[in-house]
Amino acid sequence: MNFRNKLAGASLAVVAALTFSACSSGGTDPAATDTAGGASGDATYRVAYIARAQVDSFAAWLANEITAEAENYPDITLDVFDGQADDEIQNTMIENAIANKYDAIIVQANNGVAQTPYIEQSVAANIVTITTNPRVPDIAGASSVDASPYDQGAVVAQLALEQVPQDAKVVVLNGPGGNFHSTERRNAWQAEFFDKRPDVEIVAEDVANWNKDEALAKMEDWTLAYPQIDAIISMNDNMAAGALEAVKGDDKFAGILAYAVDGTPEAVLLIKEGLMTATTLQNAAELAQLNLKTVHDLLTGIETEVNVDIGNPLITSDNVDEYVKLYTDSGQIN
Amino acid sequence: MLAKLRSTDTSRYTIFLILGVVFTIASVLSENFLSADNLTNVLRQVAVITIMAYGVMMLIIGGMIDLSSGAVMALAGVVSVIVYKDTGGSLVLAILAGIVVGVVANLVNAFFVATLNTPSFIVTLGMMLIARGAVLEITQGQTVLQLGDFVKLGQSSWGWLPLPTLFLAIITVIVWYLMTQTRYGRSVYAIGGNQEAARAAGIAVNRIKYKAFALNGVLVGFAGVLFMSRVNAGLPNAGVGYELQAITAPIVGGTSFSGGVGTTAGTLVGAIIIGVLGNIMNLTGVGSYIQQIVMGIIIVVAVAYDVFSKRGKRSKQILKPTEKELTDPIDGEEDSLSQRHDGPHKEVP
Repeated sequence: MNFRNKLAGASLAVVAALTFSACSSGGTDPAATDTAGGASGDATYRVAYIARAQVDSFAAWLANEITAEAENYPDITLDVFDGQADDEIQNTMIENAIANKYDAIIVQANNGVAQTPYIEQSVAANIVTITTNPRVPDIAGASSVDASPYDQGAVVAQLALEQVPQDAKVVVLNGPGGNFHSTERRNAWQAEFFDKRPDVEIVAEDVANWNKDEALAKMEDWTLAYPQIDAIISMNDNMAAGALEAVKGDDKFAGILAYAVDGTPEAVLLIKEGLMTATTLQNAAELAQLNLKTVHDLLTGIETEVNVDIGNPLITSDNVDEYVKLYTDSGQIN
Repeated sequence: MLAKLRSTDTSRYTIFLILGVVFTIASVLSENFLSADNLTNVLRQVAVITIMAYGVMMLIIGGMIDLSSGAVMALAGVVSVIVYKDTGGSLVLAILAGIVVGVVANLVNAFFVATLNTPSFIVTLGMMLIARGAVLEITQGQTVLQLGDFVKLGQSSWGWLPLPTLFLAIITVIVWYLMTQTRYGRSVYAIGGNQEAARAAGIAVNRIKYKAFALNGVLVGFAGVLFMSRVNAGLPNAGVGYELQAITAPIVGGTSFSGGVGTTAGTLVGAIIIGVLGNIMNLTGVGSYIQQIVMGIIIVVAVAYDVFSKRGKRSKQILKPTEKELTDPIDGEEDSLSQRHDGPHKEVP
């Protein structure tokens, strides 16, 4: 090897060494997608929030609200990580947060079962650990902040008990297979509605992966296969909105009922227009407030373990104006 | 006459035969399948994917690929929606904005692929991440709502014909013309068949690659506009997996991964076959998990058939030249280039 090559190799090695030492000398994890909270140099606690997937609009909303809420805690520095809806990535991020010695880790699990061993590692490392949206159950030493998906589904299902006509034919849209929130909401609908209304027939049921366009395509086909559809039962607002797009302007489905969960701005607008019947609000702002309060209480020793749920307010045409105002004030709708 | 039939390459018509078989089976499985409403539905549903598929088809024929079309489609569509709202409802500006986004993203791809000779698989994989990140950043992960009359593009009809289907028909004719009647189209086939031979024959390979990506960008950008108007929202998470569907349609339709082979009609038919399969499975209540299995099988079979049919043709050509090859003289660069292709590369007019 000639002298020039040796010199180049040595130079590269020096640069690499300097680079690695700079990266490991502290400061925020380079994989963090966002950092919030804490006056510069004054922050006492480092908190990692590992979001499920920021491509998911609700998860993104929650991440944004958590980031904003962290600004209210000068002694907290928050780093947000995107799990990209991938168990492997999310587990790696939990491991990285543990290795980087965060004081607290808040996990919005993509799949509770897959993340459980890693969340347990966080607890074992004496890191304040919170699971949120969904709660990952049965982890000793971990706290949780959630909106019960069963209760979310139940509230809407109980309303539907009174409203869905006799011998109705309905279609059901589910979230991704194995998704805890989708499964629990569906369980609620089964127990609170379908088991109590054996006259109601499910003419079609399928997974639309929380997606509006998938639900749209399915509903377009279902309206041809099943000329009578009295209600759309959806495990989230996006899919209900997609299904409603398919029947928009079609007189055959003018009075179709539509029930969902999340209370998104779009759902609120649809209820205001009389196109959607009801939804349950899953308030990301309230979740964020509770998460930050909980992590702060745990870090400061006020609490040792917290397991708490937010409320599940029902949104219908009777109270929709309140939520229109909520979203207008926050700038999410005009 | 029999000899002429035997010497005719019938493989280009196989896809139409398959379409006929699929239609027949579907009509037996569901009484609603052949209804005017349902067929209109299918054509409306396949419009976005097929428009994207035409762009990918051009790239694959030219020996390249695009893995970013789903993400760029989402970015273009969301930007289009935002421009529409910000300009007080200018549909023209909104469409232009979507197309510009698509073209810019693809020109970046072209720079790396054509000028820096980086594999298109890697470049477009990177662009997929960039475009998705960009659209999420722009929207902060939130859906853009209250689109107003923007939805007319995707939800209106011209008489009985849904506008997305009308756009698809127009774009099909344009793409067919480009690929069969222009020097650009012939050059794409030549490059895909044998890039160095094309270069030696005087084809400006890099320039053609840039054009192919740019045209792909136009198609993907417009597809994004159409998609968002159809779903009545600016969805930053739209199009996940659409790049796979956009690749599958031309492959099912006979476009070869090895380059130099493919037709517009085949791509259209491939997209329709996939759309019909999804449609009939929805009509008959087949769940989405089974639908995924079916789609996966189709992809594997389509590619395997492509590889198998090329091998058969190569053996046949080595062993037994056709009567046409024995009697027709070789003249002109296009004929000499066509001798090097593995199979038929001319479009079905």
